[in-house]
Amino acid sequence: MTTEERPVTSTSTIVIDPITRIEGHSKITIHLDQDGEVSDAQFHVTQFRGFERIVQGRPIHEMPSIMARICGICPVSHLIASSKACDQILEVEPPPTGIDLRRVMNLAQIVQSNALSFFHLSSPDLLFGFDADPAKRNIIGVAQANPALARDGVGVRRFGQQIIEWLGGKRIHPAWIVPGGVDAPLSADTRDRILSTIPEAIAAIERALTWYKTTLVRYEEEALTFGSFRSAFMGLVDRHGNVDHYDGWLRVMDADGRLLADRIDPTTYQDYLGETVEPWSYLKSTYWKTLGYPDGVYRVGPLARVIVAGQMGTPRADMELDEFRRRLGRVPSSSFHYHYARLIDTLYAAERIEELLRGPDILSPRVRSFAGINSNEGIGVSEAPRGTLLHHYKVDDDGIVQWANLVIATGHNNLAMNQGVKQVAKAYVKSARLEEPMLNRVEAVIRCFDPCLSCSTHALGEMPLQLQLIGPDGALLDELMR
Amino acid sequence: MTVLVIGYGNPLRSDDGIGWHVAGRLATDPRLEGATILQRHQLTPELALDVSHADLVVLVDARSGPPPGTVATEHVDPAAAQTSGTTWSHHLGPASLVALARELYGRSGDVHVVSIGVGSLELGETLSPAVAAAVEPAADAVVGLIEARPTPGSPSAAGVAGA
Repeated sequence: MTTEERPVTSTSTIVIDPITRIEGHSKITIHLDQDGEVSDAQFHVTQFRGFERIVQGRPIHEMPSIMARICGICPVSHLIASSKACDQILEVEPPPTGIDLRRVMNLAQIVQSNALSFFHLSSPDLLFGFDADPAKRNIIGVAQANPALARDGVGVRRFGQQIIEWLGGKRIHPAWIVPGGVDAPLSADTRDRILSTIPEAIAAIERALTWYKTTLVRYEEEALTFGSFRSAFMGLVDRHGNVDHYDGWLRVMDADGRLLADRIDPTTYQDYLGETVEPWSYLKSTYWKTLGYPDGVYRVGPLARVIVAGQMGTPRADMELDEFRRRLGRVPSSSFHYHYARLIDTLYAAERIEELLRGPDILSPRVRSFAGINSNEGIGVSEAPRGTLLHHYKVDDDGIVQWANLVIATGHNNLAMNQGVKQVAKAYVKSARLEEPMLNRVEAVIRCFDPCLSCSTHALGEMPLQLQLIGPDGALLDELMR
Repeated sequence: MTVLVIGYGNPLRSDDGIGWHVAGRLATDPRLEGATILQRHQLTPELALDVSHADLVVLVDARSGPPPGTVATEHVDPAAAQTSGTTWSHHLGPASLVALARELYGRSGDVHVVSIGVGSLELGETLSPAVAAAVEPAADAVVGLIEARPTPGSPSAAGVAGA
């Protein structure tokens, strides 16, 4: 809906014009001790969605389309995890071509969402610096200062969005992925149209990587303080131990590169992952059960994927991964490196889409299996842009949903995000008064994770970001709102 | 002359989806033969390329404030767009979209906004009666903008060059 565009107001007091550059809305509180030092910080997700309850009583065939409405950024991820859970309830295996086409759309989703995160949300900070005037620290500012980078951002995201639209009929909430496979086969014309766009997409991603690697040296300080801590990492790998965004086994690696667990069947996730809630946030936290709560912190998403995988599995992405490891080591501890990993992840996705589309059977008309209700429970897993996504449903004999549990990538990262916020606050909040660069850095560490709060809290309306500074007596010392 | 019409809004929030309804109506209108008609939730940065390729761009959107069903037409001033501030990166306003097209691709089409006053923004896929009655007048307003364009080939028929 049309609203007036307002120029950014740059002040050092209270009000900052609306900007969050994350997917959703949240609040951060920073607590000071008697000496005025940061003692704690909390990242509150203040919106509630409730899809786990909403779907109770709905027929199973509605689930993928309902669940896709969880998010306008990554609906395909929910379509896939939901459809895979439904596959288990139907006890069907989609035809190989149906699986490959699901993979193509999932990877296109990875591309467009990663491009949004890197180019549109994070590149303003990386290009101008975290202390820059917020009036130019946005996409228009990037377009003016580095139009080639901004054009590549538009181009890469369009590339992913167009594939989704061409396959599913629309960019947001396509209904093409269904229980049992996909709704319609791929035409030669659509395949060829997608293939024709891949070389430029790969070139643009590689240009962004080149730019990022030269930019990284400017942010050594931020890399040390932006969520840099020892933790485990988790992601899906294929039978070769390489990255897999659609299926495979869960692999968990500790901060020293040792495997805490490998070849975990994702349907046994409850044996390994605990879930808990805190009264100050609607976002669930997951933790590695053997380490308990809150010590069992682990990270998911692009950084985790490139860490746990042996290789990416495509030529260009593997070369970039080798360089990543030479620069940063096998298990880099800083969440700042999500940006770098996100670009490698995007490059892999573009390359893999081409491989899949050049498969000999990709135009097969056999893309969907049909069945009735054959099981009362199903668990679907995939790698969403932000990390591992699990949908778990229980249905009655008529296929009516009785119970649902969603384990969302942003929830996996909740403990890590809170640690990151606390670390940045300790490094940059040095007085009882908040200033814009503090706010931006605290926000930026969250942005590294690219959290999707709409996905992870199951809100009507919006709540602006609040940053509150709390004194040792609990008094509100200062507040910034957007 | 290349024409781009973008109806945008949230079709699950009643009258906020008016842009989708008008775009859907225009998709079958012979008066818009050859035009590109899009339905979108928001104006996103990716649309800058489409805006740069078009000669005439008409954005159809809901607007809060005016009485429900009120149809208004507004020209997006390229000069104002050039200096428009924006802090959002997920979506843009019309002026920022023009600014982005000009910055990235050197030009934008001539951009107009057809807005329709809303009555209800509750959850739902249907329009309130006053807004539903405005679909035809809004579609006619879009057609009027196209028909008012100068004859192709005349200097003012080309897009607006960037700075």
